[in-house]
Amino acid sequence: MSTVQRTWKVNGKPVRVRAPAGRRLLDVLREDLGLIGSKESCGEGECGACTVIVDDEPVVSCILPVGQLADGTDILTIEGIEKKRIGRLIQAAFIECGAVQCGFCIPGMVVSSYALLAKNPKPSAKAIREGLSGNLCRCTGYTKILAAVKLAASRIPAAKRK
Amino acid sequence: MTKRTSQSVRWVGQGMPRVDADGKVRGTTRYVNDVDYKGVLHGVVVRSPVARGILKGLVPDPAFDWSPIVLATAKDVPGENVVVMHDRTMPLIAEIGAEIRYRGEPVAVVAARTPELAAEAARRVRVEVEELPPLLTLQEAIAIFKATPEKLDSMKSQDIVKGDVATGFAAADEIVEAEYWAGHQEQLYLENQGLVVFPQKDGSILAEGSIQCPYFPVHELNDCLKLPPEKIRVRQTAIGGAFGGKEEYPTMLIGYAALPALKSGKPVKIAYERNEDILFTTKRHPVWVRYKTGVKKDGTLTAIECDFILDGGAYLTISDVVMFRGILHCAVAYRCENVTIRGKVARTNSFPCGAFRGFGAPQAIWGIESHVDAIAARLGRAPHEYRRQIHARPGDVTPTGQVLSKENGSTACLELALKRADFAKKLKQVSRGRLRKGQRKLYGVGLAFFAHGSAFTGDGEAKFKAKGRVELARLEGGKPVVDIRVSSTEMGQGVHTIFTQIAADALSLPPAHVRFPMADTGLVPNSGPTVASRTTMVVGNVVHRAAQDLKRQIEAFASLRFFQGAPAELRASQLVAPGAKPVPFAKVAKALLAEIGPASGFFQFELPADIRWDQATFKGDSYPGYSWSANVAEVEIDPLTCELEVKRVTAIVDVGRVINPTLAAGQVEGGLTQALGYAIMEKIGTGKNGLYDAARLQTYIIPTALDVPEYDVKFVEYPYSFAPPGGKGLGELPMDGLAPAIANAVEAATGRRLRQIPITPESIFAALHAPQGGTP
Repeated sequence: MSTVQRTWKVNGKPVRVRAPAGRRLLDVLREDLGLIGSKESCGEGECGACTVIVDDEPVVSCILPVGQLADGTDILTIEGIEKKRIGRLIQAAFIECGAVQCGFCIPGMVVSSYALLAKNPKPSAKAIREGLSGNLCRCTGYTKILAAVKLAASRIPAAKRK
Repeated sequence: MTKRTSQSVRWVGQGMPRVDADGKVRGTTRYVNDVDYKGVLHGVVVRSPVARGILKGLVPDPAFDWSPIVLATAKDVPGENVVVMHDRTMPLIAEIGAEIRYRGEPVAVVAARTPELAAEAARRVRVEVEELPPLLTLQEAIAIFKATPEKLDSMKSQDIVKGDVATGFAAADEIVEAEYWAGHQEQLYLENQGLVVFPQKDGSILAEGSIQCPYFPVHELNDCLKLPPEKIRVRQTAIGGAFGGKEEYPTMLIGYAALPALKSGKPVKIAYERNEDILFTTKRHPVWVRYKTGVKKDGTLTAIECDFILDGGAYLTISDVVMFRGILHCAVAYRCENVTIRGKVARTNSFPCGAFRGFGAPQAIWGIESHVDAIAARLGRAPHEYRRQIHARPGDVTPTGQVLSKENGSTACLELALKRADFAKKLKQVSRGRLRKGQRKLYGVGLAFFAHGSAFTGDGEAKFKAKGRVELARLEGGKPVVDIRVSSTEMGQGVHTIFTQIAADALSLPPAHVRFPMADTGLVPNSGPTVASRTTMVVGNVVHRAAQDLKRQIEAFASLRFFQGAPAELRASQLVAPGAKPVPFAKVAKALLAEIGPASGFFQFELPADIRWDQATFKGDSYPGYSWSANVAEVEIDPLTCELEVKRVTAIVDVGRVINPTLAAGQVEGGLTQALGYAIMEKIGTGKNGLYDAARLQTYIIPTALDVPEYDVKFVEYPYSFAPPGGKGLGELPMDGLAPAIANAVEAATGRRLRQIPITPESIFAALHAPQGGTP
């Protein structure tokens, strides 16, 4: 398999990556870059535990070959979320609402929540459910996660709302 | 919520945020696959390709380079080839010449420097098996049982008898009889199974990983690894969900990894990917349950006769106790003088079934709660009115002869659920198979009412005597901290947080002073496995008492050291004595550590002396305490597509004293959602070739954020006063009753009773188009 060499922006910092084109983004993040916050659970893009944001869109990194990501790609992982104001609001709301149990799905949940609120800071209840429908959680029954996203949205300052 | 005061802060009862939440929302919590284990070999299990046969040979491919590979077979088992669970029938790994009993049964373990190389090596072992005809499903076993009951290959049988059912049936005006089925269910913890075994220089082993019950392997692998308990040390890493799936199974996994580890002297990690995890780990037991009930015209239940048969899979493992919990829940929630329950564990050539939240109770409650609705319908009674009449309450006698104490909120749960759900009014709006005016979908509402026994069955806790310590042994950043030392594991359910609250209250210190290190059998006494809805009630009491013991020691020291022998009390982070200036806890604790060394509070759990249980006759007090719940489910069914949507669920719960309302509500909502999957989505079986037919998340469907209904969860508190702070079991109860509540709602919507879960659009379609009566 051909090897690709890329320069991306990962959590705001330039990162040079050299990997086989077919190597999964999740493996590059976890193994090459040491960003272990993104998790692998299903390995086939069904559960969302590996969700990261690529050029403002949430993607499942377990089925994304790095060869598809051009130079200059902007990647945001759970490790970069807390540098964002909305990200911190989400993390605080998850703790406050009791939205966390085993925690294995939570990095992906937080990232998907960020992707949702960064685009739509005043989502409807339905939009929140849909925005998180690609992230499976087996512990919480989602109720407190949905409440946490709603709470975080309510705390986004009006000036930040587009 | 209790008000905080400077005098005495009560943390129990408050929705304190989780102590482990920060790392989890930031992604810094390390699960086993997040740890970089240097120099570790990766193990892969080589498995039988058929469900039944005689293992003839294992042939390594001569064209493959085996030099970097560790290949371990049954010949490498150091001791007797047996995993000692509840019998001694299951080998760790199949031997040449022995019978293979399920597809995927381990025949060898290979280990190599990379997972890829190990997987390749595993493929290069040819497994030769002389096939024998398998019996793959519970359906086949029940067909045998119905034709000739004694021909059923039952690995364990147990009856419960109260009164005389023949007399009861003779007194009855009506006999109501029906059968109910439920299939397998996968735990589907998001973090797959994984652990590492480190061989030690002294011949012992250390295992760490995603392990729910660290003390199990310490006592189950002695014979096969030829190691005494003190030479098997096990500790948990952060666990990404377990639900029983990491209860007994990791014992096997430790055994598999130990073979190449002991052979090579190198640490071996086995971590499953999702596909292997679904195909080759334990599931919830399928059940067939038949109820025959006698009832008088006035509604009195005169007899309950029940056959309860679980599919145990190929080996018993722990299925006897799952069946025991099942039969103990088959009729516990209703008044009846004459009861006979016959429980069995059928052997099939499928993967051994195992622990899963509820542990037999959801299967039993699925049957009885469907059946009580069927009885009510026969009598022309509304389901809630009928349950009001016959439900068990304090003073009633259970099928095993236990008198229910006053600490049972059964009536309160039932009444509050009916009120909050507005059940009587909604029952008048149900469709019964025909759209009413203004309805575009068939509407139904259904009720389930049930108990869940807390802690080990019978006198299990009396015999086990859970032990725990609370220690003042160290400084952290110059400040004294108190460590909780029990073997309860944090799997997401919140034990680290609620035990911190319990210890903080007992010590009169803020939670910031309390630590709860991960369970490690090298450091903690055996307070038992984290199972059976026992942790809050039993181990919570151990922590409470051990912390009180530590508090007394600190007070005794302070009295002599700071107050000239005057009695001192630790109160709100200060040591106070009459007429003296208070001394801060930190100062006292530092002096204690410096001058006399660590202090350790200890407690060993005991049951009240009047608890009696006879395992031989299955009579007596089957559980120390009971939690109660009533669930109401509202459903809508599209009359054309038969698509089923659960719109709203009311769950009223008595789990005694609620230690943390936020976490408790989260447990209920999560359990209800697993029950929702069990009821209407999660379908997996072994019918074709002994291999599970849904091996991935594309085919095994669990609820998403779009599937969950609106939940109305409320607690009523009837504390277990013998064991302060008075919690009863919570973890399993929410899994127990939603499936029959939904089935009862589907009956109300369609006029057809579905007697098999999961209830899918296909099964609703079949029922609606069947000549009468619903599905068999």
